[in-house]
Amino acid sequence: MAYALQQLINGLTLGAMYGLIAIGYTMVYGIIGMINFAHGDIFMVSAFIAITAFTLLAAADVTSIPLALTFVLIVAIFFTSAYGWAVERTAYRPLRGSTRLAPLISAIGMSIFLQNAVQLTQGARVKPIPPVIEGGLELWSTPGFTVQIGWSQLLIIVTTVVLMIAFTWMITQTPFGRQQRACEQDRTMAGLLGVNVDRTISLTFMLGASLAAVAGVMVTVYYGVVDFFIGFLVGIKAFTAAVLGGIGSLPGAMLGGLLIGLIEAFWAAYLWAEYKDVATFGILCLVLILRPSGLLGRPEVEKV
Amino acid sequence: MSTVVFAHHGMTPAERLRDAGWIAFVALILGVPLIGLTTVDVGGRLAVDTRFGLLAVAVVAAFAGRLALRWAIDSLRAHKQSKARQHTADTLSSRARTLSMVLGWMALGVSIALPIFFSDNRYVVDTATTVLIYVMLGWGLNVVVGLAGLLDLGYVAFYAVGAYSYALLSTQYGWGFWEALPVSGALAAMFGILLGYPILRLRGDYLAIVTLGFGEIIRVVLLNWTEFSGGPNGISSIPRPSFFGLEFTRSAPEGGHSFASFFGLEFSAMHRLIFLYYLILVLALLTHAFVSRLRKLPVGRAWEALREDEIACKAMGMNTTNIKLSAFAIGAMLGGFAGVFFAARQGFISPESFTFSESAIILAIVVLGGMGSQLGVVLAATLLVLIPEFGRNFAEYRMLLFGMAMVLIMIWKPGGLLSHREPTLRLRDPRAKAATTEGAQ
Amino acid sequence: MKKTLLATACLALGVYSQATLADLSVAIAGPMTGQYASAGDQIRRGADMAIADINARGGVLGEKLKLEVGDDACDPKQAVSVANTMVNRNIVFMHGHWCSSSTIPASDVYNEADILMATVSTNPQVTERGLQNIFRIMGRDDQQGMVAGGYIADTFKGKKVAVVDDKSAYGKGLADETAKAMEANGLKPALREAITAGEKDYSGLVTKMKQAGVEAMAYGGYHTEVALILRQAQQAGLNLTVIGGDTMTNSELVTAAGPAADNVLFTFSPDPRKNPDAAPVVEKFRAAKVEPEGYVLYAYAAFQLFEQAATKAGSTDYKALEKAVRGNTFKTVIGDLAFDAQGNLATPGFVVYRWQGGAYDYAK
Repeated sequence: MAYALQQLINGLTLGAMYGLIAIGYTMVYGIIGMINFAHGDIFMVSAFIAITAFTLLAAADVTSIPLALTFVLIVAIFFTSAYGWAVERTAYRPLRGSTRLAPLISAIGMSIFLQNAVQLTQGARVKPIPPVIEGGLELWSTPGFTVQIGWSQLLIIVTTVVLMIAFTWMITQTPFGRQQRACEQDRTMAGLLGVNVDRTISLTFMLGASLAAVAGVMVTVYYGVVDFFIGFLVGIKAFTAAVLGGIGSLPGAMLGGLLIGLIEAFWAAYLWAEYKDVATFGILCLVLILRPSGLLGRPEVEKV
Repeated sequence: MSTVVFAHHGMTPAERLRDAGWIAFVALILGVPLIGLTTVDVGGRLAVDTRFGLLAVAVVAAFAGRLALRWAIDSLRAHKQSKARQHTADTLSSRARTLSMVLGWMALGVSIALPIFFSDNRYVVDTATTVLIYVMLGWGLNVVVGLAGLLDLGYVAFYAVGAYSYALLSTQYGWGFWEALPVSGALAAMFGILLGYPILRLRGDYLAIVTLGFGEIIRVVLLNWTEFSGGPNGISSIPRPSFFGLEFTRSAPEGGHSFASFFGLEFSAMHRLIFLYYLILVLALLTHAFVSRLRKLPVGRAWEALREDEIACKAMGMNTTNIKLSAFAIGAMLGGFAGVFFAARQGFISPESFTFSESAIILAIVVLGGMGSQLGVVLAATLLVLIPEFGRNFAEYRMLLFGMAMVLIMIWKPGGLLSHREPTLRLRDPRAKAATTEGAQ
Repeated sequence: MKKTLLATACLALGVYSQATLADLSVAIAGPMTGQYASAGDQIRRGADMAIADINARGGVLGEKLKLEVGDDACDPKQAVSVANTMVNRNIVFMHGHWCSSSTIPASDVYNEADILMATVSTNPQVTERGLQNIFRIMGRDDQQGMVAGGYIADTFKGKKVAVVDDKSAYGKGLADETAKAMEANGLKPALREAITAGEKDYSGLVTKMKQAGVEAMAYGGYHTEVALILRQAQQAGLNLTVIGGDTMTNSELVTAAGPAADNVLFTFSPDPRKNPDAAPVVEKFRAAKVEPEGYVLYAYAAFQLFEQAATKAGSTDYKALEKAVRGNTFKTVIGDLAFDAQGNLATPGFVVYRWQGGAYDYAK
């Protein structure tokens, strides 16, 4: 029981991280209907920015953890959203209105480019920082096993929940959210009604990138080790999460992320860890066969 | 749509400078965290190192590059406009068609003659073989993506099924290449149907992610089921195909002949390479003939109809399930054939050769080439294999250039290098139809 | 750069011939880019120094050596492509590749083209396919696993030990052999697990080991994952000792794992840096600001092997070279090398090391 609880905590942490990145996929998909394969690499870039920022702070002898975290988050969000903006501007905007697959290939190219650009400028070696937040909370002690939740795990889960609520509020309540949803439904019509479509799409990319930035900072805090290859696997998992939850739906992305984190944790805990990915994708297939547009996705209305 | 930020031409010099200045500013912001700052390992700890000189170079380069690019785009556009007045669209498209015919025959001629001119150059023949494998894979995937319009991100699974079938049949049961080829192809097709059946209800990107998952499942199973597939060790010592029973060995087997001794030639390892090259060339040409024929048959036309409008297909009373399944099965079978050849050529296969990136490259070949275009696939496959190969001299810049090239080609030609997405058969007035399909997403 | 460009252009046109090159070409190949680029980097540094030293001595048989570098990124397909490039460049000796899964398919190409190779790949398959041209200047996974398994059974008698691998050819081979040797010595692994390399989250594995009361983990795989597992174990309050293979020589492990790296033991050939004959070379590397760790001295030794074999054979002809390597003992910075019929080291030695405060030394 204690063991299951500990694995639940592990799964939730991992799932929250997937969820944060999955929202980026889902928002971009919602508004321009493309899979942004470079999103995982945007996340990787933000992790590198976080590493540099943390190292700078350590050199400046900043010891207050909340101060350091705030600084790193702001820096990472600023630069990462600049990257999100630039990627959209150079690789996707010229392709808007062409075939559905053209931006997909452009995104794959962008992903390869970013990975190698980071390898070239930052080196192929892994970048570690000493643990930022140590220790945790002991929840339950049984003989031989203590369930504990690390402060950094708690930080990840809380941050994710807060961001989730903030984003849902923003999409449903603010003028920007309305414009964003309008563009999702019909770009031409939204444009005719005075919505600045280009600006809305750019902002969507920047918002997706800033969530990836938060995830990047969290990864740096929690794992403490970053390399130029981390975007790939996480990106694919997060994308799977977005589809599982119903692509285009914000709560769906979060739910999908949590589910995948939990499936991975429990499958590895009780069954064969090496077939973990088979389980993830198998469940995805099952869900999609039963609900072809994901758990919380709206069924597509086919118009002739 | 153009790549331009302030897209109207005839910019004044001041506007040009402002435009380039803006790009330089963006480059500065993007460059600060990655180029300007870096972390280095000093005695087990990280320390920040600055490279502002390099950053300055990058920013200046962005500024100059933007000016040059603007100038090039503007003059190109002016050039195009003056040219467009001289030709009507009609002569252009018919010229394009004859041009692609000529190009096709030229490519065939070059590929047949290649090993004759490079008979002692291993590298050229071997790289050309790799290109042809990708051409064949591209043609196979073209059936699924280009013709039937089903986005498949896990095509590599069928490639793997073909490769492992041949490897197991030959090393475990002593089957020859030619016996194993149809069986492996059939197996791959079966997997295609197996995958296709449950997921046909899915549309667009949902289909894409499930195929991606299927590709990963196959790879993970191959990686972990050690008793069956050798696990991460893969399968080595896979027999090479023989030339009508004549082996390409240094010494002739007891009481028989090797290829070299039968023809009275001195042994050379090149014989086998050239044979393999022609083998894949023949396989690829057969694939091409097969797919071209299919496109003219009802099933091929049904694929294209499905790609253009699924609802209309259903309304016409077509059985969309069977059409999709046939596309999946035939695409998978062709992938399987390519896999068999891959295993026979490499002599060693392991799950590392069948990762998602491989699927991505094959898909990129189909899309970069121009969906549905057979010649485009050849062109794209050649490019995507040769860019990293030539890039070997740029060492670490190799993959960077590769990624950049993919983005640039797509922006330059969003429809693919040779894009003519039009039905193979048409009733009348090609231009009207082409215009509507081009605009559709 | 211009020269190499020109060379490729010639190559592509097929007018390349040996006459354009006066020097003797030798090569290294390995992951110069990609996930394991740091190993490729070590090989390159070692080889550069070796070639410079040999050329300073007047080259081999009066000819200067020219080093070609091939990047296979540990991808089997690229490895074959690199091998073909090298054949075209008429190399006479190859040190590489690094990943076993690259070495295996590439060695077929070198074999057909009559090129001698010396590799550090440790998978038994590398030398078990009857190829005459391949020599291994390092021990094999099974020998390594035997040493590690024996050591574990001895040191952790009666305690719980997990055996984990990363599903790579190298990692699984090593872990399997270690588990076998442990059982032969009377210690049954408490857990047998596999992870996916490249992931970041191993908290599930850590929790599983904590639940099972595991104190030590025998690991087959690369150092990056070990660093993550150690950090996460520490966070979960699990005091874990890791016993790994030769890849743990990489000092990245210490940077990434922090103080927890002191819990890492690993098997490796006797430290060449401790070899008194190697002292001048080690000094030279340090003077050039290169710590001769990991594969650096192996790369150096590979070219020493080539130099001496060519001198003994009196030619760089393949047949003569191969005979010379097979029949003689060579004095190199990693000790005396002699080979058995298969091309394996005749006297491979593996020693257990422990990281301590950022440096590794023999474990007590």
